[in-house]
Amino acid sequence: MNIRVAKVEDLMGMQACNLQNLPENYMMKFWMYHSMTWPQISFVAEDHKGRIVGYVLAKIEDPSEEGTTEEIHGHVNSISVLRSYRRLGLAKKLMLLSQEAMSSIYKASYVSLHVRKSNKAAIALYKDTLGFEVAKVEKKYYGDGEDALSMRLSLKNP
Amino acid sequence: MSKALQKRALPSKEQSLFKELLTLYETRQLKKGLKTAEQILKKVPDHGETLCMKGLILTNMAGRKDEGVELVKKGVRLDLTSHIVWHVFGLVQKADKNYEEALKSYTQALRFDKDNMNLLRDSAQLQTHLRLYESLVDTRHAILKLRPNQRQNWVALALAHHLNGNPQEARMVLEHYQRSLKNVPDYDIEHSETLIYYVNILEEIGELSEALSVLDSSAKSRSIVDRTSILQIRARILTKQSVPEADEAWRSLIEHNPDCYESFRGYFTYLGISLDESNPEAVTKLEEFVVQLPRASAPPRLQLNVASGDQFKKLVEKYIVKRLEKGIPSLFADLKALYVDKEKQQTIEGIVEALREEYAAASTLPASSDANLEPTTYLWTLYYLAQHYSYLSQPDKALSVLDISLQHTPTLPELHMCKARVLKRAGDYLGAARCQNDARLLDGQDRFLNTKFGKYLLRAGMVDEANSIFGLFTKKDAPSPAADLEDMQSLLFLLNEADAYRRNGKLNLALKKYIAVKKVFDDFEDDQFDFHGYNLRKFTINIYIKLLKWEDQLRSHPGYVKAAIEASKIFVAVSDDASIVSSLTSTSKMSDAEKKALKKAKKAAQKVQEDKKATQATNENKDPELIVPKDEDPDGLKLIGSPDALEQASKLLHPLTTLAPKNIDVWIAIYDVAIRRKKLLQAVGALSRAAALNPDHPELHLRLVDVKQRASSFPQAPPPPIGPVFTEAIAKFIPDDLSLETFNSQYLQKHSTDSHTVLAAAKALHKLNLPLADVENTAFTLFSPDVRLDVPTALSTVDFLASLKSSRLDEFRAQCQTTFPLSTVFKPSAELAPLREQVMLGSAPEPATEDTTP
Repeated sequence: MNIRVAKVEDLMGMQACNLQNLPENYMMKFWMYHSMTWPQISFVAEDHKGRIVGYVLAKIEDPSEEGTTEEIHGHVNSISVLRSYRRLGLAKKLMLLSQEAMSSIYKASYVSLHVRKSNKAAIALYKDTLGFEVAKVEKKYYGDGEDALSMRLSLKNP
Repeated sequence: MSKALQKRALPSKEQSLFKELLTLYETRQLKKGLKTAEQILKKVPDHGETLCMKGLILTNMAGRKDEGVELVKKGVRLDLTSHIVWHVFGLVQKADKNYEEALKSYTQALRFDKDNMNLLRDSAQLQTHLRLYESLVDTRHAILKLRPNQRQNWVALALAHHLNGNPQEARMVLEHYQRSLKNVPDYDIEHSETLIYYVNILEEIGELSEALSVLDSSAKSRSIVDRTSILQIRARILTKQSVPEADEAWRSLIEHNPDCYESFRGYFTYLGISLDESNPEAVTKLEEFVVQLPRASAPPRLQLNVASGDQFKKLVEKYIVKRLEKGIPSLFADLKALYVDKEKQQTIEGIVEALREEYAAASTLPASSDANLEPTTYLWTLYYLAQHYSYLSQPDKALSVLDISLQHTPTLPELHMCKARVLKRAGDYLGAARCQNDARLLDGQDRFLNTKFGKYLLRAGMVDEANSIFGLFTKKDAPSPAADLEDMQSLLFLLNEADAYRRNGKLNLALKKYIAVKKVFDDFEDDQFDFHGYNLRKFTINIYIKLLKWEDQLRSHPGYVKAAIEASKIFVAVSDDASIVSSLTSTSKMSDAEKKALKKAKKAAQKVQEDKKATQATNENKDPELIVPKDEDPDGLKLIGSPDALEQASKLLHPLTTLAPKNIDVWIAIYDVAIRRKKLLQAVGALSRAAALNPDHPELHLRLVDVKQRASSFPQAPPPPIGPVFTEAIAKFIPDDLSLETFNSQYLQKHSTDSHTVLAAAKALHKLNLPLADVENTAFTLFSPDVRLDVPTALSTVDFLASLKSSRLDEFRAQCQTTFPLSTVFKPSAELAPLREQVMLGSAPEPATEDTTP
């Protein structure tokens, strides 16, 4: 599958992929907002026909704008790969590209994300494959009452 | 003091109240603002500016919008030379998405306050939105003159020139701006984006070496911080210059992301090696990357495109074995693009069949005897073959492979999904939905499986069931699953539900959903509005330009094209036959179950409305956009009964004349609407466009018969200048001395083995008022052995014969059943009820396998 930075023409495909896969969905303006603000850090995977089969949607949080001392960091808003395109390592490749861009372009010191406590497969990917650690548990984070694990990965070179 | 000014002047107490009013509005303290306005108006009831402000506040309050708009209009009339009244009027029009009128009001306001920054900024936004780039340049100029110290104003002017087709001017503005820049902080992302924009403009006007030197020096000084962009632009420019440095540029891009096909295409274009045909040189070159970047997926896959013969066989075998062993479910989806080459398709079939034999033999041996073979490898091999045979329209073979694999592992959802797909293609929509349910039941947490099942339910016509299935994953606080999916702009849902309603004969509900798709695209268009200001503030110009381009092409999306065409077909149908609307309106046809469901839905909707009202009452200041207006036409009956049905259809189709001109269905739809609106030139024009795309298209054939019939039924020839052009155009399609009967039989003879042609010819016979027996006989030739009939065409024919009340309909259905033995869609409805019940229950745990020996 072809993997590359997300373009404006991909936003509808990303939105459709998200709706098919995940319970947390967003209107087009939300997708646009991310692309228009941080155009370099969201990525897509597409099949031979140009259909979006996976994506990562990311943003940058710059707490200094709010006057705190916390560091600039990236946050993964949504990531998913269509069921029929699993086991290709797409999620990992998408995440790595996004992390690299967050770090090199925005000097993000770490990347964070939320994941459902019950989503074993995703947690394994973040933890074992990508090296994320659990920062804290957020109670009843999701609309249906499930807890989220808030996970983090440092992007600073060791 | 002029008369107007005298009228505007307020006594000093009211004057300070007015200032307060403005602040209250800006800080969204609407209730207080309203009181203040009323206090002023008590003393000065005809004060235009205050009336406008009061109106503006009311438009922001729930349920008082119309009253507010009236007040604003009144205020404007009372004080035509005040910039405030025009500004307010513009704001109200803008909130109403009436951008053209809003811009006119702003232009008026600027006449009386030409240096007002807010007015200028809003005008620029409106001008961009309306693509009035010439006047945008003027506005941006005015803004820059007033505020030359704001960096974004320079970039904004450059952008305006650029959009107005003048990149040279844009370049000059940007250069002027850069000379004036002082103390840019290190590592400034905004400056970086501006520099990339500058480089892009230089590249666009062909100043390649200048572009490259700016790029390189900015990269070195780290003024441009986006390394991937640097690499991409470098590689692109160096390739245009065809200099050897391009080689390294592409290679670094590929190393940065070895899964990006564009980089490989770019590199091979530079090398002058084609990736689009059999090419041993390309295979060799790609092999370098296979070795160098073993984890990259693109090089080995690209090799399969360019390899042939024995080399292909060797490569594809390695490719397939590796992925079957890894258990990659998408292998077939990955390879099927190669099937356009018949030889490659056969090679692959041979390889996978041989693997199947090998693995099958191994799988019967004791587990320890072949340590290398995982039992799943055999399973994925069978899965591949099932997809392969299904794709090649060999459903029996596909199903027998699936039966074996399901006995091997009944718990893999993919196998059930595959079976569903095979059955769907074979015309068994109910069985397909049942199998999709089997897949879902194996993993109820997976929305993907759930969505697929919902979609298959819709294909099987089970709309209510589909909605409750979708509801397992939609928001619980939404009025209904359908409402949530519509809010979330799900085209998949809207289009499939619309199609389901259409097939079920509920044209009103179908039309409502198609129009909902149109509204999604209207929203997408609207969504750009805020970014006209936002991206300039953020300096993300490069992506913003792409946003504008995308928006300009928005309605070329297949989802819009489909919705527009289907909606226009319904509008045309009701304009031809008004009884459709009246029969849909009469609820007498409704079954008891349907009535019950309707009652329940109404009750639920009512409750939601009441809940909404309750929250509204407690929160009057709420943003009016968040208040969902009550749907005045829940069944779409008003919509389908619109007196201007054809005009609406015409508007829906209009964007497609430029955005989808290669789509013949678009021109057919445009003809259908135009001829009924008596737009004769547009009608024959559309036919010419269709004929240029495919002169033998069956739908076009029917329209040619139609136009000729209509022309000869005119009481008198249409007057010049249009009349003669129209008549001549028709004569070009069908010579005057040729009867329509002959025209039709010639057409049929030309493509007598094509099922679409046969059906079109049968329909034409009916149009020509030939005896029903002739029509039926033609339709039955669809079953002759040399005609390739498919399920959808057979279904269309069933519908056609039903519309004629043909006595041979049952006979036709029975023959369809024989032709498509797996199908259920041709069965009489009495036989379908138990099958429908089975869909929701799922298949029996032990699939009733017949003897599947080939």
